[in-house]
Amino acid sequence: MLTPLIRHTMSEPNSNQVLSRLSNEEFVNREAELSRICSLNNSDSSRLVLLIGPPRCGKTEILRQSYDRLFHERDNVIPFYYALRRSGIDLETFARDYFSKVLAQFIAFRRNEPKLIGAADKSLSDIVRAAAPEDYVWVRSVVDSFTRASEARDKSLMARCALLAPGAAGATAKLKPLVMIDNSHLLEGSEIRAEFLRALEARSAAEGARSIHVLTGLRRVIKDLAGADDELIGRIEMIHLDQMGEESVERLIRRRTERLGIATSDSTIELMIQQLNHDLFYTRAIVDAATVRGSLRTFMDFEKLYAGEILNGRIGQCFDAVLREVATELGSGRAALEALALVLEADLPVPVDAVSERMSEHCGDAEALLTRLHSREFLNVSCGFVSGPADPVLSDYLRARYREQILGASTQATGEDLLNEKLKQSYELMMSRYNRAIQAQLIELISGFDSQTLPGSLLDQDSFEKRYRGMSRVQIRRVLDDELDRVRLPQIVLVREAGSSEQPGLQWRIFEASGFDGAIYTDANAVLWLIALINSKEPLDLETLGRIDQRVEAALRGHAARQAPAPQVVRWYISKEGFSAVASERLAGMHAYRSTFSHLDLIQDHLTRLALEGEVRPASEFELVIPVEDEAELIAARTAEQIARAAGFDTESVNQIKTAIIEACINAAEHGDSPDKKIHQLFAIDEDRLIITVSNKGKTFGWANEPSAPSVVQPAKGTRGRGLQIIRALMDEVKFERTDDGARLVMIKYLKRPGNQ
Amino acid sequence: MTAPEIRSRLVDDAAVIYPGTYLNQLRGESIENQCQELLASGIRNIVINFEETELINSIGISILLGVIESVNHAQGALVLSNMNASNRELFEMLGLMSHVEMLETEEVALEKLCRVETIV
Repeated sequence: MLTPLIRHTMSEPNSNQVLSRLSNEEFVNREAELSRICSLNNSDSSRLVLLIGPPRCGKTEILRQSYDRLFHERDNVIPFYYALRRSGIDLETFARDYFSKVLAQFIAFRRNEPKLIGAADKSLSDIVRAAAPEDYVWVRSVVDSFTRASEARDKSLMARCALLAPGAAGATAKLKPLVMIDNSHLLEGSEIRAEFLRALEARSAAEGARSIHVLTGLRRVIKDLAGADDELIGRIEMIHLDQMGEESVERLIRRRTERLGIATSDSTIELMIQQLNHDLFYTRAIVDAATVRGSLRTFMDFEKLYAGEILNGRIGQCFDAVLREVATELGSGRAALEALALVLEADLPVPVDAVSERMSEHCGDAEALLTRLHSREFLNVSCGFVSGPADPVLSDYLRARYREQILGASTQATGEDLLNEKLKQSYELMMSRYNRAIQAQLIELISGFDSQTLPGSLLDQDSFEKRYRGMSRVQIRRVLDDELDRVRLPQIVLVREAGSSEQPGLQWRIFEASGFDGAIYTDANAVLWLIALINSKEPLDLETLGRIDQRVEAALRGHAARQAPAPQVVRWYISKEGFSAVASERLAGMHAYRSTFSHLDLIQDHLTRLALEGEVRPASEFELVIPVEDEAELIAARTAEQIARAAGFDTESVNQIKTAIIEACINAAEHGDSPDKKIHQLFAIDEDRLIITVSNKGKTFGWANEPSAPSVVQPAKGTRGRGLQIIRALMDEVKFERTDDGARLVMIKYLKRPGNQ
Repeated sequence: MTAPEIRSRLVDDAAVIYPGTYLNQLRGESIENQCQELLASGIRNIVINFEETELINSIGISILLGVIESVNHAQGALVLSNMNASNRELFEMLGLMSHVEMLETEEVALEKLCRVETIV
């Protein structure tokens, strides 16, 4: 069956359109598939390609567009396009139709006159007369062969003549034939199939140039077309088409509505994309209906058009046609609707037997009908169970038809029910979409935490209110950077969901974000951010907070059970409408961060700006490798001195850093047992601190097994043991980290100690 | 590596040792040897002048502790002088100040040592 969308939605033709039905403007986002088909000739083998995709995703148009491109390119390939029209067609009729079309397309191509393709509807002698002079002899001879087979009433020979004609035409034109067969599922179960498969096998030069065949049609049928022929199966290549992406559908809606002068709104376009399941046929049907019946500005505008399309419009007619085609026996239409209503109502897979039983009251061969419904993707039969369609629009149609045709409701009543139902759902759909968008934004935001600092008020709603009440967002953005109170973010390595709740007017979701403070990967630096994202109509009250807290605590216990030792926990509550005074007070008492959705945008802005300014990672990093030899540590000390001075450290701090790095180098040299006899150092200046990492590839640092420092007051006995003591005393933070091939010591010195000490 | 040369001078019956810019194991050991020689030659008063000393590492400090003990053991007197703020802080942090006296300048140190001898 030709998908009806094409007939109704033909756009203004381009001068280059031969068989295609969509203008370049409307044929969106399929260039990859188109190019792939048009470049299939880059191989010597005869190829069989299946273009596989869900119903109504534009497979036919891709073939037609491919035809046009190849027709105009005229480069090594001669294209042929044939669409099987209906099931049960007899071999002779098919052979005549196919032969005429192939000949007409050959002549049109050779004469570069697209209009001649229309000659296929004329008699064979008319077609012969249209041939180019240089092709006349060949066309005459092939028509004579076909006519002889026809006169002999040899249907098989006629079919063979027709099916081999593209190959022979290619050989005559010294071009590779590319044969595109649309609706090839109709071959299944027909006598054409055997002849067609035999033609695919034709490969000797005598039978013509090796052809490339591209087949499309119902994916659930054409996948099995090759049957059990291993050799044929081995030659099959697949091109998979996915459902159109959101952006492409949106672009299409905007272009089409603009061209047709239909008023729209952003939220209605979003709703259309979601509710119409990214389906181009549905989308075009609704937009075209809007030209006649109204605008698409409001949800109501759209849902009215939708209900009309489902019941009486093109969408309904398209599905009606499928049902008629599938339900050929008397009573099988009813049986189909009964089966579909049963699986839709169940909302879970139903055993095949139960469905067949319900159908058998109305038709004879329930199993065959189920198979046909399955091939059309009206339902899914798998492992002895039947489930409903994945397409929500089809489900709406089936429910409406069931109400009308089985339950006897009037079309008007059915339409009103559908409209009411969709209006309610549209709000929920958009809310749930809005929630998903916010969640995605939050996850992206948290995943980007990488030791940056944030203005403190973005994590403290009260302070934000006090500082910025009455200011515009632009003003706030401008002055946020002046805040002295900063919060240093951890480096987040993993974000996962840890629970959610949805009820009318209130949805919340909890996320766990694990990471490390200062990007230092030790137990002591491990952090866990528990984030509650709350979408409510009112500021968060104490009672709701209590319920959310129970879940937060459960998430914390779950995390504690999985991971020991327990990381440092930070709680962050993000509420769309903020917090009630008591809830805010309680959260402040828990030292929890509090933000609103609008703060998320500001945080996102801030982090994006930091990233653009290159301030996210340490602004400067210096690497130094010194040999393990006497006094090489002095080189490290001199380097540290230069870097620390440049970073603005005072003389005392510079001397402390030098002494610390000398001790670190001595120890690395002494205990490292490094095979490369080298000590690696990394100096990183990160806003207000200098991070020095001293690594060696030996067994370990001398102190890595002695995390507790010797007493500062009592000098250690013997000649050694003071190194770590010195480093700990002189630097602000000291960590040991084991690495795969040794160990490293990370020392941090702050320009200004935390808390301005 | 050959033992670095440690500059020193005699002032009356006291010796002043200059460890150089970096007191590490090698220099520490040289100082230790020099002190042993001074003690063997009958010098009992030793000043170590850290004026040029920019850096001291933990091994240097350990050896210095050994030197202090040796001088004390030989009934001698050892005074440290001219130490910069960072090194002084390091010594204080490690509790060395209870083992040895530290004075501002070499002159003050020598004066102190001579006075000690006079009293003796």
